Amino acid sequence: MRRASLWFPLLVALVALAALGRSLARTTAPTSGSMPLDRIGLLPVSAGGRTKPLDTFARNTLLRLSGRQTYEADSGQGPAIEWLLELWTNPERSAGRRVFRIDHPDVRSLVGATDEKRTRFSWSELSPQFTEIVRQAELASAVERKRQDPFQRQITDLYGKLAEYAEVRALRTPYAIAPLAPGEQWAPLVAADPRGMDGPRVADTESARALQSILVSYARGDAESCRAQVDAYLSAIDTRIVASDAAARPRGLGFEVAMSRFEPFYQSAALYLGAFLLACFGLLAGPISPDRWKPAFLRSALGLIAIAFVVHTVGLAGRIYLQGRPPVTNLYSSAVFIGWACVPVALLGEWFSRIGVLTIATSLIGFATLVVAHNLSASGDTMEMMQAVLDSNFWLATHVVVVTIGYSATFLAGFIAVIYALGGVTTRLLSGEPMKALPKMIYGVICFATVASFVGTVLGGIWADQSWGRFWGWDPKENGAALIVLWNLMILHARWGGMIRERGTAALAIAGNIVTAWSWFGTNMLGVGLHSYGFMDSAVFALAAFCVAQLVLVAVALVPAARWRSAA
Amino acid sequence: MRSLAELLKPLASLRLSVVLFALSMFLILAGTLAQTSSGVWTVVDEYFRSLVVAIPVQIFVPEKVARVPGVLPFPGGLTLGVLLFVNLLAAHAVRFKLSWKRSGMIVTHAGVLLLLVGEFVTGAFAREGNMSIREGGSSNFIEDTRSAELAVVDPNDPGEDRVTVVPASMLADAGADLGGDGVLPFTVTVLEWMPNSRIVGPMQASPAQRARATVGAGLEMAAVPAPPANGVDGATTDFPSAYIQIKRRGEVLGDYLVSTWLNTAQPVVVDGRRYDIALRFERHYKPYSLTLVDFRHDRFVGTETARNFSSLVRLRDEGASVDREVLISMNNPLRHAGETFYQASFSPDERGTVLQVVRNPGWLLPYISCTMVTIGMLVHFGVRFAGSVRRKVA
Repeated sequence: MRRASLWFPLLVALVALAALGRSLARTTAPTSGSMPLDRIGLLPVSAGGRTKPLDTFARNTLLRLSGRQTYEADSGQGPAIEWLLELWTNPERSAGRRVFRIDHPDVRSLVGATDEKRTRFSWSELSPQFTEIVRQAELASAVERKRQDPFQRQITDLYGKLAEYAEVRALRTPYAIAPLAPGEQWAPLVAADPRGMDGPRVADTESARALQSILVSYARGDAESCRAQVDAYLSAIDTRIVASDAAARPRGLGFEVAMSRFEPFYQSAALYLGAFLLACFGLLAGPISPDRWKPAFLRSALGLIAIAFVVHTVGLAGRIYLQGRPPVTNLYSSAVFIGWACVPVALLGEWFSRIGVLTIATSLIGFATLVVAHNLSASGDTMEMMQAVLDSNFWLATHVVVVTIGYSATFLAGFIAVIYALGGVTTRLLSGEPMKALPKMIYGVICFATVASFVGTVLGGIWADQSWGRFWGWDPKENGAALIVLWNLMILHARWGGMIRERGTAALAIAGNIVTAWSWFGTNMLGVGLHSYGFMDSAVFALAAFCVAQLVLVAVALVPAARWRSAA
Repeated sequence: MRSLAELLKPLASLRLSVVLFALSMFLILAGTLAQTSSGVWTVVDEYFRSLVVAIPVQIFVPEKVARVPGVLPFPGGLTLGVLLFVNLLAAHAVRFKLSWKRSGMIVTHAGVLLLLVGEFVTGAFAREGNMSIREGGSSNFIEDTRSAELAVVDPNDPGEDRVTVVPASMLADAGADLGGDGVLPFTVTVLEWMPNSRIVGPMQASPAQRARATVGAGLEMAAVPAPPANGVDGATTDFPSAYIQIKRRGEVLGDYLVSTWLNTAQPVVVDGRRYDIALRFERHYKPYSLTLVDFRHDRFVGTETARNFSSLVRLRDEGASVDREVLISMNNPLRHAGETFYQASFSPDERGTVLQVVRNPGWLLPYISCTMVTIGMLVHFGVRFAGSVRRKVA
């Protein structure tokens, strides 16, 4: 039993690896049921400017409509691709599927919802109210988006969802017919339908015929010919697809489907959470069993973090490969990246200090950023194409990555400060070495954050000068970045001037979390948050709650040193 | 010299730096929040390039929550920038000592001084404007979309047009009589001046609105005031309009609607001579011209998302003996004669381009200063970090 610090971490790691292995095996296994859904999911389509597997299109569409990637099938939850194929091959039956998520009570009563709890509705249920929904959406459209009240916003959203559903059902989106001969273009399925209303006909192209027969076989339930047709079509695509440039060429479709099924960020979030719990146990076990269970728990936590970090990295690398772009391209990916960048920095700190608390910080940051990312992904494709001005790999790779690292580091400093203040004031766990090491670490991370956020901001200025001749335009996003730089500079100068010491630095570092959160998200919400019913908006509410929590923590850090339970 | 050092000491204090950082952050926060209700350029002038600014307390509280009157007087960006500059200079004057350990900080701070100078130069001397060209057409002037002018063109001379302009600052004064001193062939009385406006089209304008003008374009449509373009919406241009009355020796020739929204000038006939009047953005003529050969706007398949914009232009400058074709696209500007042309926008029918034209004599300063600051910080923290690793290993 004295070897607990050895066998326990090994056991934890083995369990984690086994669980990962199981998910991985499930990822590659064919889907249940007789129809070759996994093969059909690989069909390339062009939507939102990107060539992607049909599986991804189905997931994103369903996610936008219903807030999740599965639907209520006859028995249990069915995969998105099955829902999409039913919509195309049996629209009447599909109209009964409850895929429209409606939350706002007034919108629910407008569509005649009687069930208090149910939040998802079907096309058939909504169809009697279409005239009213359209009328309300038109009324709402007279009001600028950011001045709309929650009802107007939700009814606009619902209208958008219905329109999107109708587009997909009418085969107008995605562009599924791939160009297989020179001169052909990507075209929607409707272009192959002789009864289709508009657009040029492509009925006689090879890929239009192939897709039609695939859908016909699917509708008949003829699994074998369906599979054969899909396989034949996929190999034709492989060898002969016409792509004007790299972005139009299907790239790693199988890999993308596997990624969607494996959900690397979900897996690593779970592992980070596990690590967090183990690290907490480790600290709690400290006074009871300092030589056996404390190191056992802490090492297991480190092991889990290492595994989670590998999975996290795989997910990030997968995105880079699929997009052919640097890691940060939108708000979603910035959250994924911030977590990813913090983890090794925090682990480095742990290596320097060996005090265990940073293990808690690391796992919690990994988990929290991935949860934030998950909440940012509800708008659909997280690998969407970028506006022309952002279409520059060089600047994405330099400015965006460096500035994101700067944000990460500022957050990390604030986070360590939270642990220092909360742990130091309320417990004795940090007595001794940690009380000396943590402030040094906060200071070190702030130094790093200053450099990274300054360099990143400047690179952004240079990009702006290159794109529109204005190094600095004082726009909200730029100002947010400037605030972070100034905040870090203020902490450093106050410290150099002897105005603050350990507690003061910690308090300011915690308040820095507010600055960072505001710059990261708040500037995006400006229009929404300050003008109209901002406080109703859940994201604004979350941000406000976060800021209030930080203020409370600042107060904790300012408790007189004599009252702290941990002492250096 | 001792007395000079004594004098500089309070100016050199780190306490002052910290206070200035805090004040700057507050100013930037206020200047960002203010952009939800006023235009970004108004904010830049009022907050960041001013000596003092009166910050309305309302910007910190959503209007829906409470109406808060009152303003908070606060030092403006210019004041804070100068104070930071002095503080930094004094600090180095008092504590100057050349050593390897301090070298990084010295380089960094020299870079910061340059950065402040650069922003001052930009604020004082940079000029921005637009050049709009239709496909096949040419342009030799730059429009300053931040100020308008009323142009009175005399096209009667076959050789060249004689143009007289009245700047917007004079038009803003409603009721003023302009041009009475013989500068213009008639007097102009401003009935209503709208710093930013919307046009109400022929179908929507009410008879009362159309009755505001007695001649010209205003018979068909009307202009109504609009709030200033605000940075948060992404709109940056105000489109002014005005109702003006034109008189000749006391006799009213007509009430006109003039607007930057209108593309063509309106004729005014005085004593048998025709003049053209137009409210337009201030024009700056250049000794060179650009001809738009082709404008391209590519989208991603099946979407409205822009993939690329580019303008193929022909640059002709006889004085500099230049006549060549250039492709201007996102992130690929054209630099010529101290001006830089960026792809900014395009006309709704996609047959014309809008180039942003910037002249900024200080454009290179941020590049130099940022390189200095970055290198300086890396040296400074590198030296310290190396020291702490050495201690850790030892």
